[in-house]
Amino acid sequence: MKPTRLNRWSGYLFVLPFLTLFCAFVLLPLIYGLRISFYSWELLSPAPPRFIGLGNYHEAMTDPYFWKAISATFRFVALVVPLTVVIALALAVGINTIPHKRQSFYRATFFLPTMITISVAGILWRWFYNGEFGLFNALLANFHMRIPWLTDPTWAMNSIVLMTLWWTIGGPMVILLAGLQNLPDHYHEAAQIDGANSWQRFLHITLPLLRPVLLFVVVMNVIGAFQVFGQTFLLTSGGPENATRSLVHYIYQTAFNHYRMGYASAMSWLLFVLIGTFSLIQFRWLRER
Amino acid sequence: MRHLAGWLIICLIVGLLCCVSGCRRETQPQIVLRFWNGFTGPDGRTMLKLVKRFNSENPDVHVLMQRMDWNTYYNKLFVAGIGKRAPEIFVVHTNAIVRFAQANFVRSMDDYAAAHSGEIRDIDPNVWRAVEVNGKHYGLPLDVHAMGMYYNRRLFREAGFVDASGEAKPPRTREEFMDAVRRMTREKGAEGQKQWGFVFANYSNTAYAFMKQFGGKFFSPDNSRCLINSPENVAALQFCMDMVHKEKAAPSPENFDAWVGFRQGRTAMTFEGIYMLPDLQKQKDLDFAGAPIPQVGPQAATQTGSHNLCLRVDLDARTTSAAWRFLKYLSDNSLDWAEGGQIPVRRSLRESSRFKKMTVQYQFARQIPYVAYLPQVPFVFEYNTEFDLAIEKALRGSATPQGALDLAAANVNKIIARRLDDLRRAKGARQ
Repeated sequence: MKPTRLNRWSGYLFVLPFLTLFCAFVLLPLIYGLRISFYSWELLSPAPPRFIGLGNYHEAMTDPYFWKAISATFRFVALVVPLTVVIALALAVGINTIPHKRQSFYRATFFLPTMITISVAGILWRWFYNGEFGLFNALLANFHMRIPWLTDPTWAMNSIVLMTLWWTIGGPMVILLAGLQNLPDHYHEAAQIDGANSWQRFLHITLPLLRPVLLFVVVMNVIGAFQVFGQTFLLTSGGPENATRSLVHYIYQTAFNHYRMGYASAMSWLLFVLIGTFSLIQFRWLRER
Repeated sequence: MRHLAGWLIICLIVGLLCCVSGCRRETQPQIVLRFWNGFTGPDGRTMLKLVKRFNSENPDVHVLMQRMDWNTYYNKLFVAGIGKRAPEIFVVHTNAIVRFAQANFVRSMDDYAAAHSGEIRDIDPNVWRAVEVNGKHYGLPLDVHAMGMYYNRRLFREAGFVDASGEAKPPRTREEFMDAVRRMTREKGAEGQKQWGFVFANYSNTAYAFMKQFGGKFFSPDNSRCLINSPENVAALQFCMDMVHKEKAAPSPENFDAWVGFRQGRTAMTFEGIYMLPDLQKQKDLDFAGAPIPQVGPQAATQTGSHNLCLRVDLDARTTSAAWRFLKYLSDNSLDWAEGGQIPVRRSLRESSRFKKMTVQYQFARQIPYVAYLPQVPFVFEYNTEFDLAIEKALRGSATPQGALDLAAANVNKIIARRLDDLRRAKGARQ
């Protein structure tokens, strides 16, 4: 059928509502933010915003708090992403071996925490982690142990990672499970006939076939992990001694506690570039292999 | 007949509508006053009761109270103020008044003060002076929430710190305090758990109170230089640090939930604001009392804050007069506010027999003549972040008091330099 003029435009009409919202709430603020990042833009300063070129970016490079926030963020990403992918994959593989009828129960159980908002999950885990009346230390007391979950600079980030795993593992698990269930059976059957054991089949058949789904899960997880905020805000407020203040948390404080919009925008753009670079590397790396 | 009934109904409706609109025209519409604050604890329930009572006694005004957590409260208030959507009435802590006054959306209260001179004379001069910026007063203080000492009477009696009548006797001097702290720190307390003589519950405010007692300065008079690393402040912080690391009579911050520990009866003494009182009153098995904090330095001092009622800058005359009525109502009834764990700002109310029965509030109120507000600088939030971090580092032992305060002073001086630069440019732009 020859495309009529209406047909040619109908596609654009369908994307128009989304495009309008995208432009209004994502694209334009993004560009506006880029502009602000070149200004000394302090909301409560008597001086009007003034153009300072790369001044804010230069400040970030020499700001020890910025680097501390970057290192806290990297530590979180480096811990949370591999653990999420490995545990989610293990759970998905495990659930996949269960008879189909009983799968939905386990899927729902592991997915349930994901549906809780961060405010509820955060407060719940703050209680769990409390040194004096928290659940974890009450259990550890039986073994005469005590862990300063959120109050020790070295422990606090691990505790946040643990809570994040509980909270977010359901999403990647469901996606990987769906990926596993879509894999064609005949490869496995052929390998089985050739005498491959289950570990070999997992390593040489399941994993390579699952690569596109894994890529998606890893990339989404990295993007999410770089933007960690709710957990650190609610559990530790970035403490102790700024050990868990992530970059987004620092940006939030700079913008909405100290009202330095220019500097906060510059740091946001640096984060944007950071996430973009990492996503690109992962795409290349996982695609080429 | 049906037509006639229809016409009659229409006439009736039109007539009623005319009456209603006529009535409306005669009386003025109700004034709605939005009132924002951060009273999310039990204090919020007390305030809500007061607001409801005011609304029922003043049918022409409707106060609409909105509460949010203090942390997010100031963000929302600033953003609303900058966007010209600030509420008519809002609460600001004394140390944040300067920032709000500079942001230019708080109304001066001097005309209110002139119209209610008796009420203002009833406020302690140091408390009223604290809301003054460049010769103008920007808020009506409602309370003085001074930090005081909460102590566990049972532990005091057990350790023999009692007066002639056998009642627990709180320490007043440095010697008495250190003696009590040392003797009440035990490896095994009542339930076989470690017992502490003292605990830093709110460590920034506690350190600040000691610094003030040691005579520490925080800024040069014109706020152009940060002096938090002055020798007095370093000595005060060293005193705090020694309690934890040398005397081992107070737990390090990472090892103890200080406030919960006090509630559980495992700590003899702690310093906290009067607003924490309702939390302790809930703990029925805790035998506690309040006292002024001991004087460990050459002069008496404790940290305090005040909630100030502020008005938006652009209110019309009618709204202003309604808002004033509400402010006066809260001020006159601040003994009700005190019941929820506060100290009223007005001396006449504090001298009443009703207030004297609020024993903890009454004890804490004895410190009012020498209370110290946190430094009042326009960059108060940036300053607080640096100060809190320095105290935390020193108490944990991850920096020396001198090192921690030197770094904080250097960082605050950078903020000052940036602001001065901004002000110069603003002046340049105007000329």
